[in-house]
Amino acid sequence: MGLESPFIPYVATLKMSTQLTPDIKLLSVELKDPDTRAGFDYKPGQFALLSAFGEGEAPFGIVSLPGQGDGLEFAVRRIGTVTRALQELEPGDILGVRGPFGNYFPLEDYAGGNIIVIGGGIGMAPLRPVINRILQQRDDYQQLLIINGARTPQDLVFQPEFPTWRAAPRTRLELTVDRGDEHWKGRVALVPDVVKELAPSPNNAIAIICGPPIMIRFTLSVLKNLGFKDNQIVTTLEAKMKCGLGKCARCNIGDKYVCQDGPVFTLEQVSQFLEQP
Amino acid sequence: MNLFISKDDLIRWLELLLRERIIIAPIRVQGQTMFQPISKVEEIMFDFDNTALSSKGWFLPPTETLFSVRRDDGQIKLMPATVERDAIIFGIRPCDARGIALMDGPFLQVPSDTLYQERRNRTTIIGLACRQAQPECFCTSMGSAPDDPSHVDILLTEVKDGYIVQVVTEKGKALLPKGWAKYKRKMPTPPQLKTVPTKGIVSAIREFFNDPYWERLADRCLHCNICAYVCPTCYCFDVRDYPDKGKVERVRSWESCQSPGFSLTAGGYDPRTTKGERLRQRFYHKLLYFPERFQEVACVGCGRCGKACPVNIDIREVISDLHQLAEAKSGS
Repeated sequence: MGLESPFIPYVATLKMSTQLTPDIKLLSVELKDPDTRAGFDYKPGQFALLSAFGEGEAPFGIVSLPGQGDGLEFAVRRIGTVTRALQELEPGDILGVRGPFGNYFPLEDYAGGNIIVIGGGIGMAPLRPVINRILQQRDDYQQLLIINGARTPQDLVFQPEFPTWRAAPRTRLELTVDRGDEHWKGRVALVPDVVKELAPSPNNAIAIICGPPIMIRFTLSVLKNLGFKDNQIVTTLEAKMKCGLGKCARCNIGDKYVCQDGPVFTLEQVSQFLEQP
Repeated sequence: MNLFISKDDLIRWLELLLRERIIIAPIRVQGQTMFQPISKVEEIMFDFDNTALSSKGWFLPPTETLFSVRRDDGQIKLMPATVERDAIIFGIRPCDARGIALMDGPFLQVPSDTLYQERRNRTTIIGLACRQAQPECFCTSMGSAPDDPSHVDILLTEVKDGYIVQVVTEKGKALLPKGWAKYKRKMPTPPQLKTVPTKGIVSAIREFFNDPYWERLADRCLHCNICAYVCPTCYCFDVRDYPDKGKVERVRSWESCQSPGFSLTAGGYDPRTTKGERLRQRFYHKLLYFPERFQEVACVGCGRCGKACPVNIDIREVISDLHQLAEAKSGS
């Protein structure tokens, strides 16, 4: 009898596919085997590798919370062959899931503090379970400030949830876009500039940030100017991955493997990498 | 305790072993000495410098199917690849055996790579000590030796009228028939090798991450990847799906950190866009990152990379250069 290969995904069924933006779909996925389904526990920030059999496999943050709603949710942006194939799946179609992999946002450690969530574009995906977990345990945290940017208004990823986020106690949602349209009455500004304008206090606060590298770079310098220390800034790194098992060495950055040591790192940790992401 | 067998007895023993197992041994293939499964013992080369490729390909094949996907009646079945038979690698050099021991680090760490692990479990390694050193050899500078038995199950050393047999592990012992004579004479002296100043390299390299040295060195690199393919310890891989007539195979294949796009994400982000950054990654992985994770430098001193490189990028030279950079820095 052979050993169980860590490369074999769980077989899953696509339950629902919802268009979130012109190029992003929310996939609701159910693992076929009931025992596996029951045992699949994960935390905000962890990811899984999704297989579109015949096209390949790629890593995606798990954007749902365990025990909430049905199945696992992934926000998939159409950007290459695997993501295109995943978007073309229809309810009832089969896909593969391996995971959960990686570390997670240690939200328990942030209890009692103010949380600033800063996301750009598809970078909101790993932040959605962070926001929803905080809302689930709202009394454990002080102020929650969400700054969400996108290229255009229709690229804001989790719009159906905005009313819920806005209505939550001590929660503020600030949206911004690079380019508005005829209906847009909100901000037209870059995320770093919005952070600068809103100037959240670093007092007893943690900033959790994810987005395009250039957004992160400029936002970091704004946060630093506001007085945030490196250990108050947390991010999740994107990396090429083929195995999720610390073997293929594709996500190797410095002596770290993003798939196992990450993807969540504090800026303090990242700044100690020999190689800068 | 060491034993002795004549060459004739060795051949008879291998013939017996071949009835029940696959034997992978150095054979002549299109002018190159390569490790391949043999069909007859006569194919084996007993006298060779070293093989063109190391034997890592037995444990991590250049391409292999991880599993195949079968669809019947709307149901889907994932069929894992399996390892069917016991095997023997015959004639591996001590440096390459050490390469396998180094690959064990990433591949056997939890969760273990089961295909690799099964092949490892089901393969017995019979080494062949080097009686001559090649110009590219520097294993003694990398913690091994031409007669190092540490990472094989049995080590053979050729002497005038046959082979000295050192039985290293229980796995090796299990292959031996009874009744071989004891070898009581002195072991032959291993060949002397030129040394490479590897001492202190792990701490030396750390200082030169942002040095222009890497771009300069990489200027002539053709990113042909041959260094990674011939290396006994390079193990980066790619995974892709190959659909064929309604069947899909998920296939793993060798990849190299020298390839443009090796670390390019679908979103267009790439932490290593220049040849210098990629070449630096190769040496940092071997000389710093791997030692930090697995406590050993990921080089066995086989010298294949330097010999194979079309533009003479040689790890021995890189190590010397780094020491010189370190000296220049401390002197200034």
